[in-house]
Amino acid sequence: MSAPASTSRAPHADPLLATEALGVRYGSFVALKDVTLRVRANSVHAIIGPNGAGKTTLFHALTGRVRAATGRITLAGRDITRVPDDDRVRLGLARSFQVTSLFATLSVRENLRLAAQGRTPWQALAPWRGVTGGTTALATAEEMLERLDLTRVALRPAGEMSHGQQRRLEVGMAMAARPRVILLDEPTSGMGTDDIGTMTALIRDLGRDHTVLFIEHNMGIVMNISDTVTVMRAGEVLVEGEPSAVRDDPEVRRAYLGNMITGDLR
Amino acid sequence: MIRILDRPLLHFGLAAATVLALPLLLRSGTLASEILIYALAVAACNLLLGYTGLLSFGQGIFFGLGSYVAGLLLLRTPLPVPAMLIVALLAGAATAAAVGWLSIRRQGVYFVMLTLAFSQMFYFLAYTFSGLTGGDNGLLDVPRPALAGVPLSDPWSYYAYVAVLFLGLFAALQRVALSTFGRTLLAIRDNEARARAIGFPVRAFKVAAFAISGAVTAVAGALHAMLIGVAPLSNIEYHTSETLLIMTIIGGSANLFASVLGAAAYLVAGDLLSAIWPRWLLLLGLILIVIALFLQRGLWGLIERATALVSRRPVSEDSAPDRPALPAEEPQP
Repeated sequence: MSAPASTSRAPHADPLLATEALGVRYGSFVALKDVTLRVRANSVHAIIGPNGAGKTTLFHALTGRVRAATGRITLAGRDITRVPDDDRVRLGLARSFQVTSLFATLSVRENLRLAAQGRTPWQALAPWRGVTGGTTALATAEEMLERLDLTRVALRPAGEMSHGQQRRLEVGMAMAARPRVILLDEPTSGMGTDDIGTMTALIRDLGRDHTVLFIEHNMGIVMNISDTVTVMRAGEVLVEGEPSAVRDDPEVRRAYLGNMITGDLR
Repeated sequence: MIRILDRPLLHFGLAAATVLALPLLLRSGTLASEILIYALAVAACNLLLGYTGLLSFGQGIFFGLGSYVAGLLLLRTPLPVPAMLIVALLAGAATAAAVGWLSIRRQGVYFVMLTLAFSQMFYFLAYTFSGLTGGDNGLLDVPRPALAGVPLSDPWSYYAYVAVLFLGLFAALQRVALSTFGRTLLAIRDNEARARAIGFPVRAFKVAAFAISGAVTAVAGALHAMLIGVAPLSNIEYHTSETLLIMTIIGGSANLFASVLGAAAYLVAGDLLSAIWPRWLLLLGLILIVIALFLQRGLWGLIERATALVSRRPVSEDSAPDRPALPAEEPQP
């Protein structure tokens, strides 16, 4: 699929985002066990696996929403295992959510402005500073509106948009933080066919100047745009490799045949 | 989308109009001053309830604290009134930051319980240290010293002084509400988890909201002690917190002027009804029930409906009840 691409990326062999034997527990339930992940810089990296495999928990752990019970997480070589979630945004990690999570009564533009402002949140703590003062955040919001084709609805409350628009905004809010690594949790969830095409193009596009880690159930998208695919099952990594290798892996076939890998993998 | 009623300049204009109208409508300068003083405390309460989504029963702590600062400093020190007010402001901010810092560790019901607990604690502290606070009697004979040679002893001259402070602090609160800080508070109210996920240290923002709210409330409390000549124990009682919350809800928390409306309606109604019937608080209960059931945007919501009727444009049904929106946005360049 993209064999030449991976050789050209050899100089960046050091992973930008990595986990080492990462484990997460919810009470006595082991949600993640010994997950070792390598996300190369400027790659599009997909995570697949059945429901309950621990994909979203992995995202929670990477972004700091849940605490790692064991192991460590590094971003560009720096240990961020104990860094609080809001600080990780400043270090360059941003995510979108599987279940759309917007500021529903605020306008679309304001949602994006806030997401951009999140990179420099202490500036926003000044109660005398007007919003025009933070022009960089406003400019970023404007740019994102354009890129996501949401300019026409910029002034509408986010909660009043169509599902497809809300999903685009959801991803756009992660983009507005200008992260080094962008984590997308099922970006196409609940989308119609047309919207899926737009979203796929957007993710592919993001891969050019970002590092993208995304969870996806639509195998067509995964196989088409990923450089690397990690398959998870029951809180562990089952297989990791290039899409073609993962597709032909007998263990993956055995584990998921008739379960989740359908359509494009025939 | 641009709705005239959402413009902050209009709200300030209405606040200024209220300042000018009260002397024409009311015979009592004391009642007029009381309205502006409570309006300040209610607007500060609104910053927490309406803008940040924090239902705090602790506002009485800061109101009472302000009263005690006024009583103590004016009775025992030669400090002039403006300096005393600055001390009250700082004491209110510091105490509110501490109370807020501890209370916001929990959310929802437990947050509310914590603020109630603090409210009780400060009440009993004030009750116990009667050497400082006068205990049950409060601090009596709080003076109202002349300001730069102008005596404030006459109710209407004191009203003028309160009015100037009111307009200044109201404008400052508006500035806060419109700043990047205030807009982040709206985001936290809407979706705290997402606000944290996009990088905002939510706790710091909540503590700052508490501090600002507490500072303004304490100034209101100090002005109140000067108004009635006493720093009473009742100002730090749980009941004061409750009254401030009720006024906030009556006015509606859509914007800061709604709070002025809430304070004025409560106090004027109390003044009129108590003359007719000493049990008028019973009626207040009925009014609150009506507002909770049918008028969740408060008196301001009533104004919105009225203007919508006049201009034949329906008020957006989708907007969540009783919440401040961003001011009408101009298209950005």
